[in-house]
Amino acid sequence: MRVGVSDLTVEYSSGGYLVRPIDSLDFEVETGQLVLLLGPSGCGKTTLLSCLAGILSPTSGTIVAGETEVTALRGKQLSEYRRSTVGIVFQAFNLIPSLSALENVAAPLRVSGRTSVAHARAHELLERVGLTERVRHRPGQLSGGQQQRVAIARALAHDPPVILADEPTAHLDYVQVESVLQLIRELAAPGRVVIVATHDDRLTPLADHIVELGARPVMVETSPRRVELEPGQILFRQGDDSDLVYVVEAGEIEIFRVRADGSEELVNRIGPPGYFGELGPLLGTPRSASARAWNFTVLTGYSTADFQRLDKTAL
Amino acid sequence: MWYISLADLRFRQRRFIIAVAGTSLVFAMALVLAGLSGAWRVEAQRTVREVGADAWVLRTGVAGPFTALATMPAALAEEVAASPGVREADPLIVLRQTVRLQGDLTDANLFGHRLDGAGRPPEPVDGRRARRSGEAVVNRTLGVDVGERFDIGGRTFTTVGVVSGMSYAAGIPNVYVSIADAQAIAFAGEPVASVIVTRGTPSEVPAGFVAMPSAEAKADILRPLESGIKSIDTSQIMLWVVAAFIIGAVVYMSALERVRDFAVLKAVGASSVSLFAGLALQSVVVSVLSSIAAMAITQLLIPIFPMEVVIPSRAFVVLPVIALGVGLVASLVALRRAVAVEPALAFGGP
Repeated sequence: MRVGVSDLTVEYSSGGYLVRPIDSLDFEVETGQLVLLLGPSGCGKTTLLSCLAGILSPTSGTIVAGETEVTALRGKQLSEYRRSTVGIVFQAFNLIPSLSALENVAAPLRVSGRTSVAHARAHELLERVGLTERVRHRPGQLSGGQQQRVAIARALAHDPPVILADEPTAHLDYVQVESVLQLIRELAAPGRVVIVATHDDRLTPLADHIVELGARPVMVETSPRRVELEPGQILFRQGDDSDLVYVVEAGEIEIFRVRADGSEELVNRIGPPGYFGELGPLLGTPRSASARAWNFTVLTGYSTADFQRLDKTAL
Repeated sequence: MWYISLADLRFRQRRFIIAVAGTSLVFAMALVLAGLSGAWRVEAQRTVREVGADAWVLRTGVAGPFTALATMPAALAEEVAASPGVREADPLIVLRQTVRLQGDLTDANLFGHRLDGAGRPPEPVDGRRARRSGEAVVNRTLGVDVGERFDIGGRTFTTVGVVSGMSYAAGIPNVYVSIADAQAIAFAGEPVASVIVTRGTPSEVPAGFVAMPSAEAKADILRPLESGIKSIDTSQIMLWVVAAFIIGAVVYMSALERVRDFAVLKAVGASSVSLFAGLALQSVVVSVLSSIAAMAITQLLIPIFPMEVVIPSRAFVVLPVIALGVGLVASLVALRRAVAVEPALAFGGP
């Protein structure tokens, strides 16, 4: 099983604004690989997992799993893909509290009508994740690590060739993390790919391949740059990578956001000696708004290091 | 999906037990109400049946023997008895009176009958039938025992017999006296009757009179109760709605708490239809259990009521069926929750 993501873009409305957490993403995962989707909160890791799981349709681009173009599937085909091809380990385990560990693992098989094999298969998987003694326990009677192992066993119920795990270590202490990571690493065997979304850097040594999502803090080493804009000229757009911090020398800059319906919302209008765009480069997040010249405007763009050395009292 | 729903019922058993308790009380009240109106119908039927008449001869234009009073000569019975098709005819007086018993007043349906004629009471469960003037047979609900005395219309009677189940007009007890005593109470001793009852149906009656079949006589008893019966029927419908609301609220709250579970199940391939079926199963289990509990509770409630409660046996068959319907309707409340939940929600944090 090989998974390929090509030119994938996802846009959606969030709080009335158009958000594009994934923009023209490409990567490939070969069989037997463990891939980390690494990035800070809000960078689109879970969104990407949802697309790979076939429960969210991307705005554009393609996802191919083996011979199947996932992004072309609809309705029952998509349900069948979810049932047979993908196993998901959810953040916070998401076990059904009323069911025992055994019943939780058997649930996907029962849902798909494979009731006759569900019980035996669930036993086999719980034995594999080392929970033979806990099969009758409900999630509330299990530790976080045990719950996560049940969740992993549930994801394996159909023996799917693609395992997706969302922040599998987020709610575990370091003792529990070790056994869960070991298990996840073992899953990445020939015939199967494991894709793990995390912001936990400690997982990187385990990975065969890392896909970084979201820009990292930009440490642009450049001397201050003078920028002149004609009225209406765009300096940067919402969602662009962040690089410099701008100080207005003359004229005025409009900071605005684009709503989901395409209309614009003015956030601020900044004149001399104001500055803007400092958080994106510092935090490594994309621009959260667009900047456009209101009239003829002169700006100076600073690297974050130079900006931090500036005397802010003059601004 | 059914086993997940049943496991959830077990998991949230306290809540569902409370729902079953509440709903069963509501169902029990609905059953008792059905029993009240049922009793009104049954007592009307018994009273008419025990008179043993095939026809009730009344003055033309009179609504019926139980709700209207238009006297006729008692001797008319002999003329009617001679009519073709009639084997026997007896004068009868039926009217509402007040019984004074140890200073308390109680309404009663007074039957004045020939001591050996039609309209006399059924065989008493205690004592005997009246043999002479001044003796009375009363229904048990009047609260008078054999040997006790009471007054009607200023005349004193001695109770010689007690019958059971003889009442009409929403439980008002019947009192049976000789026709002569009834004439003395209501008509200053005039030899009149309010109706002539016949065995055999007369093919013709004297001019100015009509022969009413027993079915119409029974309808005459029930007519004043129609609005009461309709009110009870409406109250029953309201109770079904309350039951549906209770079950719907509990299942809806359960569905609200299970939104993440639904998302997970959808993410692993469960359909919206199967999720809804699971919710419907919960509702149906709660309502059917409630209906069974209601049947037991009803037996405890019936003795509390001062009136006779006769629950038709079909109500015990119909109740689980209605409960099934109520459960399905109630589960519709949670339908939107099950259908609308996005599987992507499963990816969210705690």
